[in-house]
Amino acid sequence: MSSIDRATMPEAGVTTGISRKGLSVGTVGVLGALVMGISCIAPAYTYTAGIGGAVGAVGFQVPAILLLGFIPMLLVAFGYRELNKVMPDSGTSFTWATRAFGPYVGWMAGWGLIVATILVLSNLAGIAVDFLFLLIAQISGDETIAGITRNPFVNVAVCLIFVALAAWVSYRDVSTSQKLQYGLVAFQLAILVLFSVMAIVETVQGGAFEANLPEFAWFNPFEIQGGLSMIVMGLSASVFMFWGWDVTLTMNEEAKDPERTPGRAAMLTVISIIAIYLLLTVSSLMYSGIGDKGLGLTNEDIGGNVFFALSGPVMGGLAFLLSLAVLTSSASSLQSTFISPARTLLAMGHYGAMPRRFAGVSPRFFTPGYATIASAVVAGGFYAVMRFLSEDALWDTILALGMMICFYYGITALSCVWYFRRQWFDSGKDFFFKFASPLVGGVILLVLFVITAVDSLAPDYGSIAIGADANGEGGIGIVFFIGVGLLLFGAVLMLVQRIFAPAFFRGETLGVDAPPSTRRG
Amino acid sequence: MTGSIVVGYTATDAGADALALGIRLARSIDAHLDLVIVLPPAGTRSASVVPPERAFEDHVRAQAEEWLRAAIAEVPADVRSLGHVRFNESFAEGIIAAGEEFDARLLVVGAANGSTLGRHRLGSVASELVHSSPIPVALAPAGSRRNADADAPIPRVTAAVGTRAGADVLLDAAVRLAAAARGTLRLVSLVPFDVPAGLDTGTISLVQNAHGDDVLAQVRAALPDGVSAEVERAAGDSVEDAVAHLRWHPGEVVLVGSSRLAQPRRLFLGSTAAKMLHELPVPMIVVPRTRAEAGEN
Repeated sequence: MSSIDRATMPEAGVTTGISRKGLSVGTVGVLGALVMGISCIAPAYTYTAGIGGAVGAVGFQVPAILLLGFIPMLLVAFGYRELNKVMPDSGTSFTWATRAFGPYVGWMAGWGLIVATILVLSNLAGIAVDFLFLLIAQISGDETIAGITRNPFVNVAVCLIFVALAAWVSYRDVSTSQKLQYGLVAFQLAILVLFSVMAIVETVQGGAFEANLPEFAWFNPFEIQGGLSMIVMGLSASVFMFWGWDVTLTMNEEAKDPERTPGRAAMLTVISIIAIYLLLTVSSLMYSGIGDKGLGLTNEDIGGNVFFALSGPVMGGLAFLLSLAVLTSSASSLQSTFISPARTLLAMGHYGAMPRRFAGVSPRFFTPGYATIASAVVAGGFYAVMRFLSEDALWDTILALGMMICFYYGITALSCVWYFRRQWFDSGKDFFFKFASPLVGGVILLVLFVITAVDSLAPDYGSIAIGADANGEGGIGIVFFIGVGLLLFGAVLMLVQRIFAPAFFRGETLGVDAPPSTRRG
Repeated sequence: MTGSIVVGYTATDAGADALALGIRLARSIDAHLDLVIVLPPAGTRSASVVPPERAFEDHVRAQAEEWLRAAIAEVPADVRSLGHVRFNESFAEGIIAAGEEFDARLLVVGAANGSTLGRHRLGSVASELVHSSPIPVALAPAGSRRNADADAPIPRVTAAVGTRAGADVLLDAAVRLAAAARGTLRLVSLVPFDVPAGLDTGTISLVQNAHGDDVLAQVRAALPDGVSAEVERAAGDSVEDAVAHLRWHPGEVVLVGSSRLAQPRRLFLGSTAAKMLHELPVPMIVVPRTRAEAGEN
């Protein structure tokens, strides 16, 4: 049963022979999918960007919150897989939510995805800039070079160069060698393990910043102090850290063995990622503790980029290896992340939810050219604005990003539930994968979204408050402006688009649908 | 003569150049056109960075079909043309495969984007083709799409002959093309430049005069009965110089043979031909050294 509406694809007026010969069916094996999953998550990057926030929220219980945060991601991923099976489409969340809930919800889901990926693009590039200068400083032995990244002009300029390079690579569809990619992933994991081991050894030998011995309580979510808000904040950070994992699960016909490969690859990816995160969190908690001074993990100055502060003290002369690992992991993630917003924009352009030119495909490179360049311009522009607004822009983006992921993943999961509403009771499997899992996962993520949105109104949520009075009191946290503000902005754009191109909003290009039950009788 | 001419098409200026030349050649030899867009299958480039996605591939394929329909609509009604989408990791390989699939007599591609107007600069696709195709390859110089004489038949076919193996095949192809196009034939000798490097200039000029005339006389003698040809000896200090001094009719095409470095039945653009290419203001067709199978039957 293939229910995607192809009515929008114009039929051939001229004979057009089509050969499916050479198509990439069955090209990805378990190892390939594992490498893809890990390089999409880019653990070296996610950890350095996300862990500070998680520690800030739940203290020593970070390992617990990571395990907890994985649950909704897993449940939602099941829904993703079901939707991707029956409606493979470049628009993913956008297309699926439109099919289930109609054009308005669909549009907002697509917008959420685009905003999330744009946020992470700018953040990735920002982290890469920090580590570029750190790496140069470590190799040349001149420590002042690492400080150059604090100059906003230099920082923004280099960041824009990174974004432009990544966009160029995506636009030209420059092929990356598979061996190189495998090598980078292996290198990244090896260095992360090395960091953890060195941190533990330092702690045991008494050279730690604030030595702590691991306790069982670190893994117990009931030990979290500070109530619901803190748990929610920690969960959003954890959601961010697992984001991207689902690529392995949503592959189906591309896998060598569609029945087994995706499941095995997803399982292996998750086990490796959880293992590496737990090792990293435990070792860095042992070494640094949760103080807000110096190398303490709740120090806001280091929270948005923890490895930047810790690599030198922990690894000494080998610190440059960690910088190299983060740099390569963010750089290669930058490239793969560009695909996401570009393809969603392409699908939205195709169905008339965005101006038609977003659907344009480059005639030379066969990539979504216009959408790629648009994403790059917006991501670069966003980073520049944020960097000048606040030194701690990286951290604010991560908070807003967690919010945005909860939003569009939540909608996507509920789309799965609603789209398959006539098939819930077809079988036990259907009940679990099309109803129960995505429902629970989706509701958890949307609740997280609402609580984060409300909490982020507080002036001390995020690095600065907008509209604070002369004493720095009052106002609204910047994270609210980024998160909720960008969603509202999206809603306005949606209404503007409706005025100019109403066809999509009348359901003429992509209709609401629900496949019938497959049970007989 | 009938049969198929495969045009390696993209919706770019280079693609339009190739199409314009394809139309002219198809008219001249009464062939039909097969326009082929070769798409990269999803997941072959940047595999392991980007998950392959069938849906995106479908979108690109639909777009490619649209491009083909638009291109075919531009082809004059007297030339029969069909559009095809093919998937291959390499554009050149895809074009060759399509050429074999349609039993094509000729492959046509445009020069690379960004070359000087009216001149050739081999792009990666064209370069791969002239170094591996088993079927003759026609290279359309940039700007072919704007030529005013695009509708005119081919007035003259020039064959650049040397002493090396393959001259008979080349000559044969030139004779047949000129006959089919009802154009005249010109034989140009590039023999003086087709000598091993390292000979001193005195020797070269000796060889130049004696050998050059000799070869042309031989070639002329080898022409089938009833075929006449003008014969010209390209003069100059270098291949580039000699080619630059030749006079060309508007709409003329040049045939060159493949290098002896080529595998049997495969093209390999020799250094003399490669040097010519830089100076040629007209389309160039590279012919395999031994008789091609495709198009012969």
